[in-house]
Amino acid sequence: MHGVAPAVSLASPVITTETPNRPTRTATDDDLRLARACASGDTGVFEEIYRQHGDRMKSIAYNHLGNVSDAEDAVQETFLKVHRAASTYNGESAFGTWLYRVLINTCYDALRRRQRRIQESPIDDVITTERAVSSVDDAKRMTLRKMLNELPEQRRSVFLLFEVEGLSHAEIAQTLNITEGNSKWILFATKKQLQEKWKTQS
Amino acid sequence: MKIQCENIDDLLLEGDHFSMQTAANHAKGCPACAEKIASWNEISSVAQGMQTTWQNDMLWPRIERSIRAEKRHKQSKLWQIAAAVVMLSGLGIFAWRANETLRTDQFNQRILQESAVDEVEKAEKAHLAAIDQLEKSAQPKLDEPSTPLLVSYKEKLMLLDDAIAECQANIDRNRENAHLRKQLLAIYSEKQRTLREVLREGNHVSNQ
Repeated sequence: MHGVAPAVSLASPVITTETPNRPTRTATDDDLRLARACASGDTGVFEEIYRQHGDRMKSIAYNHLGNVSDAEDAVQETFLKVHRAASTYNGESAFGTWLYRVLINTCYDALRRRQRRIQESPIDDVITTERAVSSVDDAKRMTLRKMLNELPEQRRSVFLLFEVEGLSHAEIAQTLNITEGNSKWILFATKKQLQEKWKTQS
Repeated sequence: MKIQCENIDDLLLEGDHFSMQTAANHAKGCPACAEKIASWNEISSVAQGMQTTWQNDMLWPRIERSIRAEKRHKQSKLWQIAAAVVMLSGLGIFAWRANETLRTDQFNQRILQESAVDEVEKAEKAHLAAIDQLEKSAQPKLDEPSTPLLVSYKEKLMLLDDAIAECQANIDRNRENAHLRKQLLAIYSEKQRTLREVLREGNHVSNQ
């Protein structure tokens, strides 16, 4: 994987208010067509997927990993994994949901690899070097990111997918392979936990 | 809808628009719940601002290159597997053909061997018939041996007959044993020589 960010300026990821395409809840013929084309390595179809889901994938990866370079590596690795495993896609969930599940698992793998590397800089340090705090909102986001980094993987993922990416509990349930009720409960418990810390931070 | 402070958590857990609206209505008259809901909403609001994107024109070409490389690798692996299958099939066919040829050769050799054994047995039978003729001629002299030498020839012939019987029994168990056949032939030759000597000795005695 590429550990170094490309030459293009990536220093400041842009906070966006746009809502990228949401994955549908159930698989359609189009999803199955996409999976078949991915299995055959049709780069045209991969490009179509990248155009459709790339922004959200980058956002999910960035919020899990905390820096642009690792996020891009995770997105790239996700596409490779999709190419390898597309033949196993059985249409139980929407293709987009399946794609996000692969991405989140890739992020978890990257985080575990990072934890094994003793010399690795803490995630908040990496963010600090990439983004200067320029407003009150930025400071709050930094605080929230820091608190999220201390959460277990699943709690963080549920929070990020619901609150940041705007996925429904049904979609989160499919993505993380949990029940919808479980997703609701995890989100509630996570927000309660964050609320306690939020009060002390404020 | 009238709700109590202890119901707020249930509404926050539900989290849908109606529940949040109900909670907000309650908060209007309850400063403690208002504070709770405010921080709850603030977290959501800050989180919504965390959706992040950036432009990197190099990312897609990078992904595309890695997919193409992966595809090439996958294809070359498939070719390797196909080549291995073809090679193994070739080896299998070669081994099968070699085995078939070997079996045919063995079959042919066996037929040749059996016909050779038949030839030997035919010759042995002819030899045996000649010895039988000789034995018939010598039989009167052996039935009543007139000299000690003829007595010893008679004993020798009895020993030779025992040896022939034993050797023949062994040959019946292993028809293709050339060593036994040579041994049998030697015993027959010895018997033939002895019978000739018996006849010669008999003639010599009668001339005297």
